[in-house]
Amino acid sequence: MTNEKDSINKRFIYTAIIGSTLVMAVLAFSMLWASRKTVSTTDEAVSAVSSFYLEAMADQRARTINNLINNNFEHMDKALTVIRDEDIESQEELRNVIGKIKTVLSLNRFALVDEDNTVYTQYTTYSGGSRYDFLSSDKLSERVISTAYMYGSSKQLCLATPADGLEILGKPFKACFVQIDIKDISDLLLLEDQGNTYFALYTKNGGNLSDSGLGLVGAGENILEDSKDYISRDSWEKLSTDFEEGKEGSLTLVSDGIQETICYAPVPDTGWMMAVLIRESVIHEQFLEISDNNRRVSRMLIIVTLLSMVIFAAVLLLQSRRISRMRLETERENSRMFRSMANTDSMTGVRNKHAYSEYEKHLNNMIRSGELRNRLAVLVCDVNGLKHVNDTKGHAAGDQLIKDACSLICEHFVHGTVFRIGGDEFAVILQEKGYDTLDETLSSINREIEDNISRDRVVISIGHSVLNEEDRQIHDVFERADNLMYQRKKELKAMGAKTRE
Amino acid sequence: MEEAQRQYLEKGITVTYEYLAPEAASAEDQKERLSQVKKDDYDIIGVDVADEEIISPVLDEMADEGFRVMTFSSSDAAEGCKRIAYVGNTHNYQDGADLTEALCEKLGYRGRVAILVGSKGAPCHEDRAKGAKDTIAGYPDMEIAAVEYDMDSIENAYNLTLKILEENPGLDGIICCNMSNPVGAARAITEKGSDTVIVGMDHDREALHYLNDGVIYCLGVQDCFSIGFDTLQVAVKIADGNPPGDLYPEKMNEITTIIYQEDAESMLELLYGDIL
Repeated sequence: MTNEKDSINKRFIYTAIIGSTLVMAVLAFSMLWASRKTVSTTDEAVSAVSSFYLEAMADQRARTINNLINNNFEHMDKALTVIRDEDIESQEELRNVIGKIKTVLSLNRFALVDEDNTVYTQYTTYSGGSRYDFLSSDKLSERVISTAYMYGSSKQLCLATPADGLEILGKPFKACFVQIDIKDISDLLLLEDQGNTYFALYTKNGGNLSDSGLGLVGAGENILEDSKDYISRDSWEKLSTDFEEGKEGSLTLVSDGIQETICYAPVPDTGWMMAVLIRESVIHEQFLEISDNNRRVSRMLIIVTLLSMVIFAAVLLLQSRRISRMRLETERENSRMFRSMANTDSMTGVRNKHAYSEYEKHLNNMIRSGELRNRLAVLVCDVNGLKHVNDTKGHAAGDQLIKDACSLICEHFVHGTVFRIGGDEFAVILQEKGYDTLDETLSSINREIEDNISRDRVVISIGHSVLNEEDRQIHDVFERADNLMYQRKKELKAMGAKTRE
Repeated sequence: MEEAQRQYLEKGITVTYEYLAPEAASAEDQKERLSQVKKDDYDIIGVDVADEEIISPVLDEMADEGFRVMTFSSSDAAEGCKRIAYVGNTHNYQDGADLTEALCEKLGYRGRVAILVGSKGAPCHEDRAKGAKDTIAGYPDMEIAAVEYDMDSIENAYNLTLKILEENPGLDGIICCNMSNPVGAARAITEKGSDTVIVGMDHDREALHYLNDGVIYCLGVQDCFSIGFDTLQVAVKIADGNPPGDLYPEKMNEITTIIYQEDAESMLELLYGDIL
């Protein structure tokens, strides 16, 4: 039976341990998986967001340039209206009017071109036919947007519009135009952008117009030339085609672990391409920081969970051992109780005849072994008048008499061991302090007993004897005490106590 | 010039200039223009001399009349001219010699060549042609087959080249002494499918493309930006009444660089934004 219980206990513990371990493993694995999934999802989000963001940025910047161009054309139309209304009588006056227009309409390097292709600016008059492609034709029929390269100097966006019917100082004029330094356009975009992105302007053949760098593509470098080292042949051909055809697109450059995505969009009417870049690593760093935090939190969660599980398992184990111990204790208690029930008199609660016999055996063993030689007394107590009470007052009263007798004995022989060894017979064994106080206790109880005769209360005949050197067993002492008990019974009868007779 | 003007404007100094180039180089046209210019109130007059023999006396006369005159670009006036200063190429003879030396080396110092000079009397063209002739003379196996004046016209240069090729089958090289004639010569060579080696001056866009294609062997490129920039700087100093000396030299030399096929791409991108 005990073996079966142990086996069940062990099985319970093993099941708890294995179950906890499995739960922990599954939990740890799912957390790790969730953590990695978060990182990969974040990576995908970075690419998607950065590409989307860059495309939007490229478009926005292209639109900004387009707006600038449109505004300048509108202002040139206004300028022509102003000039037509002016009565210009000398070249000096013409220069003043051009200067006024530049200031009022914020037109950079505003110039007029006559039919001989002579260019008039606020401070200069020069022959420009060979300089600007748009001036080479005899007549300008529509707006022209072109790029001018100033040798050794800046690159300019040239916007020309026809000046139909304009005549100054008797000379027909064919156009007016403005030159906008591409560096100023870059500065404008930079201002709008507040330095959040890298951007650069390129020609269709990849030439850098803005002299700005774009990550791996160096400042002022040709994007088609520079990107060759970082992208595949197919990607490069697509890039070249997109630039040639003025199509939107993107490319990813990778070098030394640095990944950069560039998005480009055509700037309408200019033949330019606007390219924008945010180092993916920058976005990545931010996202990675978030991912790292998530990972740290996940790890902490895993550690906390593992610790919790370990603590839980430990508590479970301890609890289980405690339960086992409690069960064991209960078993023992039950066992003790059963044993106690076997040795206890159910009516009085003191030890019974069986207990006396066991105790007697134990003491006899001690006597035989020499451990017990003296300082032990046996008292034999007989309740007087039990039969009379049973007969006259009923068994309940008889039982009460026995209980009263037992109480009287227990009250006086506090340091003794009381046994009910028969119907109306008790035995008390006194050792140690009980033995030492025998005489006075006996006197005290006998006095009370004698007083009880007249008060019709419980009367007990007590005979006692002490262990002698010659005694071989407790029964020897008991017999002497029993004899003396009978003598005492007679004495008490003489004093008026009721007896069985 | 524009850059110099811009820098002055940034300092609050307004420089006004008129830069009027003729359709084709002509000493008579230049003489006429100078007589017109005298009627206007200019602080300083800059001249890219079309013909030193014709223009130098005009400049002396203007100087005597109190006009402040300077020369610039590739051609100075004649020695002893009263112009105040010159900014530009002072080594046209050497440029011609260098280009021709490059051609001779390419031909292995053996062959027959033609010279397209440019405008008759234009000092820069004549000096380059002289440098070319003297260099050829130094190599016994080199021979000058023809010398022609194209008057700094692409069309003339083209027609003259066709004529030279027809008259001199198997011509080994052509030395072009101005900006127009390398273009005209290259057009003719290409049309004829000839392997005649061309060397020439300056940085015309079409000429650079021919250089890149290998039709032109090399070009002597003058630093036009510096010529313009320094001309305006010197002009302002002259206008302020400063004589040549510590502030500026009487002759300010600008460099010429000989470029070859491998340099054409970068030059095209630098000057014209062309990517090949």
